[in-house]
Amino acid sequence: MTGRFSFLRLDPLTRRKLQRFRSIRRGYVSFLILAVAIVLSLAAELLVNSRALVVRYEGKWHFPTYGAIHTGREFGFDYDYEVRYRDLRERFAADPSGRNWILLPPIPYDPLENCYPGDTFRPRPPDWAKRHLLGTDQINRDILARLIYGFRNALVFAGAFLLLTYLIGISVGCLMGYFGGWFDLLVQRLIEIWSNIPFLFVVIIIASIVPAGIGVNLGVLLFIVVLFSWTGMTYYMRSATYREKARDYVHAAQVLGAGTPRIIFRHILPNVLSTIVTFIPFTIASSISALTALDFLGFGLPPPTPSWGELLRQGTSNLQSPWIVASAFSALVIVLVLVTFVGEAIREAFDPKKFTTYQ
Amino acid sequence: MILLSRSAVLALLAGFALFTAGCGKSSGPADKASDAGAPKMEADLERTLKEQPGFYVFKTPADLPAGLKWEDGSELPEFADPNAKKGGTFSYFISDFPRTLRTIGPDATGGIRPYLLDYVEPSFIAPHPNVTNGGYAGLAASWAVGPDGRTVYFKIDPQARWSDGKPLTTADVVFTLYFMRSPHLNEPWYNDFYTKNYQQLIVFDDHTFATVHPEKKPDLAIRFGGWVPYPRHAYQDFGPGWLERFQWRETPKLGAYELKEKDIEKGRAVTLTRVKGWWAENKRFFRGRFNPDRYRLEVIRDPDKAIESFIRGDLDFAPLGLSKYWYETLPDNHPEVTSGRLIKFKFYNQTPRPDFGLWINRAKPVLDNRDVREGIQHASNITLVCEQFFRGDAVQMQTRSDGYGWRMHPTITARPFDPVKAREYFAKAGFTTQGRDGVLANAGGQRLSFTITAYSPAMRDLLTILKQEAIKAGLEFNIEVLDSTTGWKKIQEKNHDIALAALSRSAELYPRYWEMYHGSNAYTDAYLKDGKPTPIATGSTPNPQPKQIAVQTNNMTMTFIPELDRLIEAYDKAETLEEIKSLAVKIEQIIHDDAGWVNGWQRPFYRGGYWRHVKWPQAFNVAQSRDFEEFFVHWLDVDERKEVEAARKSGRTYPDGGVKVFDQYKAQ
Repeated sequence: MTGRFSFLRLDPLTRRKLQRFRSIRRGYVSFLILAVAIVLSLAAELLVNSRALVVRYEGKWHFPTYGAIHTGREFGFDYDYEVRYRDLRERFAADPSGRNWILLPPIPYDPLENCYPGDTFRPRPPDWAKRHLLGTDQINRDILARLIYGFRNALVFAGAFLLLTYLIGISVGCLMGYFGGWFDLLVQRLIEIWSNIPFLFVVIIIASIVPAGIGVNLGVLLFIVVLFSWTGMTYYMRSATYREKARDYVHAAQVLGAGTPRIIFRHILPNVLSTIVTFIPFTIASSISALTALDFLGFGLPPPTPSWGELLRQGTSNLQSPWIVASAFSALVIVLVLVTFVGEAIREAFDPKKFTTYQ
Repeated sequence: MILLSRSAVLALLAGFALFTAGCGKSSGPADKASDAGAPKMEADLERTLKEQPGFYVFKTPADLPAGLKWEDGSELPEFADPNAKKGGTFSYFISDFPRTLRTIGPDATGGIRPYLLDYVEPSFIAPHPNVTNGGYAGLAASWAVGPDGRTVYFKIDPQARWSDGKPLTTADVVFTLYFMRSPHLNEPWYNDFYTKNYQQLIVFDDHTFATVHPEKKPDLAIRFGGWVPYPRHAYQDFGPGWLERFQWRETPKLGAYELKEKDIEKGRAVTLTRVKGWWAENKRFFRGRFNPDRYRLEVIRDPDKAIESFIRGDLDFAPLGLSKYWYETLPDNHPEVTSGRLIKFKFYNQTPRPDFGLWINRAKPVLDNRDVREGIQHASNITLVCEQFFRGDAVQMQTRSDGYGWRMHPTITARPFDPVKAREYFAKAGFTTQGRDGVLANAGGQRLSFTITAYSPAMRDLLTILKQEAIKAGLEFNIEVLDSTTGWKKIQEKNHDIALAALSRSAELYPRYWEMYHGSNAYTDAYLKDGKPTPIATGSTPNPQPKQIAVQTNNMTMTFIPELDRLIEAYDKAETLEEIKSLAVKIEQIIHDDAGWVNGWQRPFYRGGYWRHVKWPQAFNVAQSRDFEEFFVHWLDVDERKEVEAARKSGRTYPDGGVKVFDQYKAQ
């Protein structure tokens, strides 16, 4: 595969499609909201974090957000673990000299920390004064912080999922369509057998057997989900390639002596891309719901990783604390609805029969 | 209750949700058709009796030793309320539909077994639940310990009947021991137990027999009188393949309840029926017990739903062990509670506690260093878990063996959470550099990071709390919550770093150590005699570099200390309680000093809620009960049930309701 996608050069056709996308207001606004949310979540450490953004202490500047921990002892406390910046803020506020100062993020909580040390573990309702905008969960963790970091995890998962399934699905599908014949028949049968294996059960079995460790587990989870999800894409790619193969430009390329990979990835692929693009948002939506479902069932990311599925499960088992389930559920619905709006708009904008509309 | 200890081997934490739906196996009562080709049990039994004449011994009543002191426990106080009313249908729940009706063999340790065996079937001698080391007549009308101190003589109650009307005789006793020792049973644990602990069965006549055991014990009769026979006449086709044939077969029972085929609603519920004219109904220790006519157990997989179902009035009782249920789902100010229609109770019991704790695998690198283990002890904030997660309802265990009625060691206490001290120990082990993430590392760059393996989703939150606290000492815990079977297997195969686990313990007079701490349960080649591995420490040489890990054993700390092993062997052979107690002190001290087990928590009570038409004896329940129905002392007031139902509609309240605390058995 060559590294450059020629469609990015925005030929007039693509530009028109993008214009059409922009003119579909609902989809475009959804896209903007999502884009902002994604960018914000990538910078979540600066917005939602127990670590301070800036500390000025005894004439020295510290920027603790990224990087090594600062122990309590460095700031004059008597402990060797990470300093509690909210305590520091209180101490600085009580100091009339004003030499030291500290700036905390707008939501000064970590998604993992116990926000009420010294108090019992139980869900607490939203408290604007304490900046727990959505309340806390059953072990005193800030729900908003967990939602935001959980969103980011889901996005990373969805992105990696998208890349991998499309890479495999497109390659295999194109090859099937391009070569046809017995190769096509054989791979099709293999795919049929493969897609009959019950996905959820395999995921549950494997996820419960493989050992933990967040890196390993996210990787393993991704691997399993991808293993059973790449097949869907092959059908579309196969038929699209079949169609394109018979066109003159492909024959021309063959006559000019272009190799198979070059023909597939340089000539055919750019011409079938519009099919793929319309699928992307729906793939993202389904991978987010897959991850949430697995987490909900307890076969997803290892605790205490923030995740929506975990919040949702907590919520359903704590119905007397409705703010948990309400936050997780609304977040899930909003994001999935936005993604679907974007998907619909893209589909409409990229539709070759431009007078058809999907409502 | 020796039979219960099978559940100790498979102890699983309560409250985990099973994901699998219903029952996967589709065998049904149609099995009877295949009986023609089934093996003939009697022939095999005859052959076994001939092959093992040293074990199965037949004598005449004249051979009974003279001067036996027969006991029947009748001097002990009654513990149920003899005025309890019979009748009604009690509604409760089980968390999974039974996978079999067998009480032995694969899948037999499920949630239904207490109702088919443990709680319901009387044993020959039943341990008295209010008197330590006291026993009362169950199936045996009386019993005696022989002059050698190793033999227990039993006289079967002539009134004892199976639920099909056949009398209980020594033929059933012979069959049961043959059954337990049979290779066809497919249960190595029972095979081993009834081979190791039983040396001889002597039959004198139809109603008199004796069992001979390898060692004298201070609680010999209670220890070896707690078993339940199986009906010989209903097991005529026992033999290879019996597990499938008996999967759903209804077999005769000796207890007050039986489960009839028509009362099994597949996947939904099972209902027990009280045996009409039960033979022990009016006996001193059985009257006033097993009162409801019917006992309906609905399958409710999600405990949250069970509590909701109870509050709605569909169930008569609900356990409220989790703080969440007690304080939030059904708080004291809930209208049904304040109205007195629904009563919450807390009952302090006296029973050995499950040994919840962190089992550190000493066979793993770094964890083999005692200083690291000491550090982990001080870095594990169990106190916080007890006080803030369990809201003070649980307390940290002080020794490995709490709840046995006396302290196993006079001075040992759990090590307090102390990050400074933990860091000192870690520094001693070479972990001095704090990394960017706050985790300590040694000169070789190795991080102080371990995985805690647990096998119940209920442990997630608790482990998260421990993880957040441990980092204060520069220690990183990774959390691994597996499903119960996989997790338990991993721990039993000693593949864990640290395990959060517990073994349930039955109401015995003194704890067991051999399973959890003997070197031969850590390594199969722990001891060598003439160059060959032997499981016995005394008289053999400890292997300085054992390699063969003993899998599927409960030595989950991989402890191998020759000195400790010799003490444990002496402990298992000890004949008097004084000797047992003095050895226990030494054993507990070594275990404590080795720091391989971080003291977990125990809850000194159980609690729940019931509708006011459920009635209880004066003391509510018995001291050694582990849950409300273990001794079946409750009953239903059918008339009052109607009244309560009407009261719910009319809003009528009762002044005497609320929260009841029974602390007469609370440890001082």
